[in-house]
Amino acid sequence: MIRLALALAIATPATASAFDIHRGGTLRLTASSGVDTLDPQVSYNSQSTELFASVYDGLATFPKQAGRDQPVADLAEALPVPTDDGRTYRFVLRPGIHFSNGQLLTVDDVAASLRRIFRVGSPTAGSFYGDIVGAQACLRSPATCTLAGGVMADATARSITIRLEHADPDFLDKLAWTHATILPADTSPHDAGDTALPGTGAYRIVSYDPRHGMVLDRNPFFRRWDAVAQPDGHVDHIRLDYGLDEEAEITAIENGQYDWMYENKPLDRLGEIAGRYTGQVHVFDLPSLYYLAMNTRQPPFDRLAARQAVNLAVDRRAAVLFMGGPGAMLPACTMLPRGIAGHVKDCPSMGSDSPDHLYPDIARARALVTASGTQGMRVVLVVNASRNEDALGEHIRETLSRIGWDAQVRSITPAVQFGYIQNSANKVQISLTGWDADYPGPADYLQVLFDCRNIHPGSNSSINISGFCDPVAQALFDRAGTTADPTARTALWRAADRRIMDQSPAAPLVQRRYVDFVSRRLGHYVYAGIYHMLFSQVWVQ
Amino acid sequence: MALAFFARLGQTVFVLFGISVLVFLVFFATPGADPTARIAGRNASPETMALIRHQYGFDRSLPVQYERMMGRLFITRDLTSFVDHGERVVPEVLRAAPVTLSLVFGAAIIWVLASIGMGTLATALRGSLVDRGLMILGLIGISMPVFWLGEVVNLITQSRLHDTWMFSWVPGLGYVPLTQDPVGWFKVLVIPWITLAILFIGIYGRVLRADLVAAYSEDFMRTAQAKGLSASRVLFRHGLRTSMITFVSLFGLDFAQLVGGGALLTEVVFGLQGVGRLTYQALNNLDLPLIMATVMYSAVFVVLANALVDILYVLLDPRVRDAR
Amino acid sequence: MSAILLIPRRSARRSGPWSTAAATLLRDRAAMIALVGLLLIIAACILAPVYAHDIAHTDPFDSDVAATVTLNGRELAVMQANDNPLHLGLSPLGPTWHPSAYLLGSDSQGRDVMARLLYGGRNSLLVSAAATLLCIVMAAAVGIVSGFFGGLIDALLSRMMDIMWAVPVYLFAISLSIVTISQGLRFGPFTIESDNLLLPIGIIALVYVPYAARPIRGRVLSLRNSEFVLAARGLGVPQARILLRDILPNVSSTLIVLAPLLMALAMLAESALSFLSIGVQAPKASWGTIIQDGQGLIYTRPMVAIAPGLAIVLTVLALNILGDGLRDALDVRETSRRRG
Repeated sequence: MIRLALALAIATPATASAFDIHRGGTLRLTASSGVDTLDPQVSYNSQSTELFASVYDGLATFPKQAGRDQPVADLAEALPVPTDDGRTYRFVLRPGIHFSNGQLLTVDDVAASLRRIFRVGSPTAGSFYGDIVGAQACLRSPATCTLAGGVMADATARSITIRLEHADPDFLDKLAWTHATILPADTSPHDAGDTALPGTGAYRIVSYDPRHGMVLDRNPFFRRWDAVAQPDGHVDHIRLDYGLDEEAEITAIENGQYDWMYENKPLDRLGEIAGRYTGQVHVFDLPSLYYLAMNTRQPPFDRLAARQAVNLAVDRRAAVLFMGGPGAMLPACTMLPRGIAGHVKDCPSMGSDSPDHLYPDIARARALVTASGTQGMRVVLVVNASRNEDALGEHIRETLSRIGWDAQVRSITPAVQFGYIQNSANKVQISLTGWDADYPGPADYLQVLFDCRNIHPGSNSSINISGFCDPVAQALFDRAGTTADPTARTALWRAADRRIMDQSPAAPLVQRRYVDFVSRRLGHYVYAGIYHMLFSQVWVQ
Repeated sequence: MALAFFARLGQTVFVLFGISVLVFLVFFATPGADPTARIAGRNASPETMALIRHQYGFDRSLPVQYERMMGRLFITRDLTSFVDHGERVVPEVLRAAPVTLSLVFGAAIIWVLASIGMGTLATALRGSLVDRGLMILGLIGISMPVFWLGEVVNLITQSRLHDTWMFSWVPGLGYVPLTQDPVGWFKVLVIPWITLAILFIGIYGRVLRADLVAAYSEDFMRTAQAKGLSASRVLFRHGLRTSMITFVSLFGLDFAQLVGGGALLTEVVFGLQGVGRLTYQALNNLDLPLIMATVMYSAVFVVLANALVDILYVLLDPRVRDAR
Repeated sequence: MSAILLIPRRSARRSGPWSTAAATLLRDRAAMIALVGLLLIIAACILAPVYAHDIAHTDPFDSDVAATVTLNGRELAVMQANDNPLHLGLSPLGPTWHPSAYLLGSDSQGRDVMARLLYGGRNSLLVSAAATLLCIVMAAAVGIVSGFFGGLIDALLSRMMDIMWAVPVYLFAISLSIVTISQGLRFGPFTIESDNLLLPIGIIALVYVPYAARPIRGRVLSLRNSEFVLAARGLGVPQARILLRDILPNVSSTLIVLAPLLMALAMLAESALSFLSIGVQAPKASWGTIIQDGQGLIYTRPMVAIAPGLAIVLTVLALNILGDGLRDALDVRETSRRRG
């Protein structure tokens, strides 16, 4: 009996409001600036991912619970096992869920929302949802998008059937991503901008101004259906203020003026907060890599030897020190970070001639540069103009000079840099950049960053920054995409990772860890994967 | 008079037009400034890029884009940001203006009072150690980079001495609207006020002293003294009044520049979301609509203030008035 | 936000104005102290390599986060790990107050702040001096042409100045910097890379042209209508000759007085741009960039930001005092008006 009661208490963490002594209060958050847009199907910004976790739902979601990262059913009753060789998914909608405007959620809302991904021009419309039957027509002509044959709604059975052109083992991950949020069917097909759309989550956005702040309160129509998919919240209000820089934010949390900050913690304060406020600091691995992208279509990096030389020469331990020390960063030796299937532990060298090394080998790197015949060539490294990246960029410039090039750093304003390094017209040779996973799968690293189909010459949106198109790697991606067995699939991704490191279109440097710093009064800290700290789960009283 | 007015108006419009064309062209000449990919989001497919390009009109010719942007900025006033989707830039600038006004007004009161005090005291005691000391202090004020001073002040009030009785009242950085909490507004602004004012106290105090000393040598002052008026009375009633002409015209231009966004470094250091900081963010984000709105706003202020000062100068200064 | 209006007190000059001025200046104790201080600062910056190589034995441009330094027989890590349970953060060495090693401590890349301060001073002084020179040349050209020829040219130049005048100086400089520094500047086949000092020099010079050109134009205007110029014209002296013989020498005192004051402004502008990381670019350093480096350490190692700020204050103060002295010596009345 006692064990049962205990189990019940764990299974229903702080739900029944009458017994929740922590219910109520205002959570005060701070960030430098706002999100790109409040439209959950368009926004591509980690601040909105964190906020929208307790505001919006899709058919699936990543668990809002610590320590799990496989998608779970959200608005759907259960996650289906795909039929028809992995191409057909049939969902049954949960009954009685309401939007924050009081409207009942129906299968029509689901079908319309999936169409809206294309009509509104969601960033991932092509890359995540382009395999749905009819999606290509929608991409070409968004205004007339029907997804006929791809999405079928049956109101009486409350079912939604989605059919794909090809099997996609990651499709449920993609449905759990914020862009597949379900909105009311009559939502305008234009980017909602600074107007909040009705959602189904525990909170709703009541006001927003990208320079001043955002206010959320409880969604009056929210009734909890699943504590893992969309838990009820403790605090009554969430207030997010914009305008401080990260140094001021840290100070404000130390002084108890805010409970949580969005920005990365400034490196010089890490020691201070970890030493003086140890209990208020939480650290987690983040599926996020910093790497050097080398343009395989520009000299000197059109030569394999030159690319391998970079991988041999970079000092990954120094990079860790530059980016905040061992507590905040991990050295990364391959393009699959820790926490992702296929990751190789502890930076072992993958073979005697493999260029993935924790310790730099300057002599061999210099020999490779000489062998490539590019010695003395001018090499310009493009970095983001920010304190950390400038410092790391400067260090890498020294390394590149040491192995035989005439290296220079160009730091470009962050607003432009990411688009600039992608555009082949800018002839960028090598750039320091980062990649954060949307969902924790190897395809979201290797395939996104190195698939031949992600090369778009002359465009600021050409995510295969290296312009790397390798038949061997491509074949491995395609085979992994059609392999249903998880173990075999992981082995294929590991092989693809190995192939990419051999070909060295990129030099991984460090994996970020997420350092969270909260106020003294904040309790019940829960960290859930891509959503980071769950605003609905923490309490302030 | 009317002719002069219209000529001035014409010049103003010309100046504003010149600035807007310049900003527009420089933006589109900057490589990598094309906002399409940034609006579309990372890894957007070519089709999505084309959709965004069309929606935002980036596929039109530059003159058409310019005309549409100006129309949406000045006529329909529904121009929206490229970075914060759907955010209208005109209301955004208008919301930032009270912050800047609060900062500049408070600082102006401090610097006017302090510099008048400093200038008259130094003149009254001219040649003394106090005079020299005040003038050197003024020069030090002029010589300090305001952002650096702000950083040091923040270090002391927010961190080093925040837990002592002296600065425990200092709230976190940021802005509190006057209408919401007048006491909080004052607390949050008083340190930025002083920081911004220090520079101007130095300038104005020194200018005032120079003018007052010069005024002493003028004939009418000698007459006043000869009439047996007391030294302090002469100083305040006559000297100060004539010296005010330079003072007022200087003040007009400085005030306009600050309200127009010139206080940006102070705003950045103290986390005040004013016009200057807004402009700085817009520039950093290459957010053309917001850059356009803020630059136009500040240009209007400065041009108007210049015109106003010219008129005031004519009205105030008997020498200029008589010469006409 | 910043301007210097110079109003000539008398148009006629005493005989031997330059020697009189020099004598007055030499008697001005404050100006002389400022001059000596300025020369000392310049000398220290010129000797930066001597300090770095022979006293501190360090390369202030080589980042080495794993370096150690021996002080009083103890070996210290330049980047010190924090002994907190989370192993978070590294703190650079604080000031040792020992000239042979990290006198003012290290920055976040393990570099000697004192040595960087001296090297940074070279760039700060170079940029502000070069910008001042360029600005005065441009302003003199604009002011003299505008004031002397008048008419359409004057109207055109004055409107151009109005456009520049209508944007607060710092906003103007920041706009230009963000555009050029992010990409470099291209004129056909010529490219000025973003780390070239010519960019901040050119930008700072350009934004102060309207402020310097106005008083020059005013001076030229009054000279043009002065009796001796009118007389020369009446005698049919060629315009070029009038410009060279009568106008230029009489404007030069204005220019000389302007120089140190403009340089003070230029130095403040340089530091502001570099502080916003759109001035001098890495690997080069200036006092502004060191403050910017130090901003990230302000709560843990405040000396990194405070020291270059003090250097700026001292230098600018010396320039201002010198400017005052020159103005008094050359007998040009000044009212200065400037920035926020």
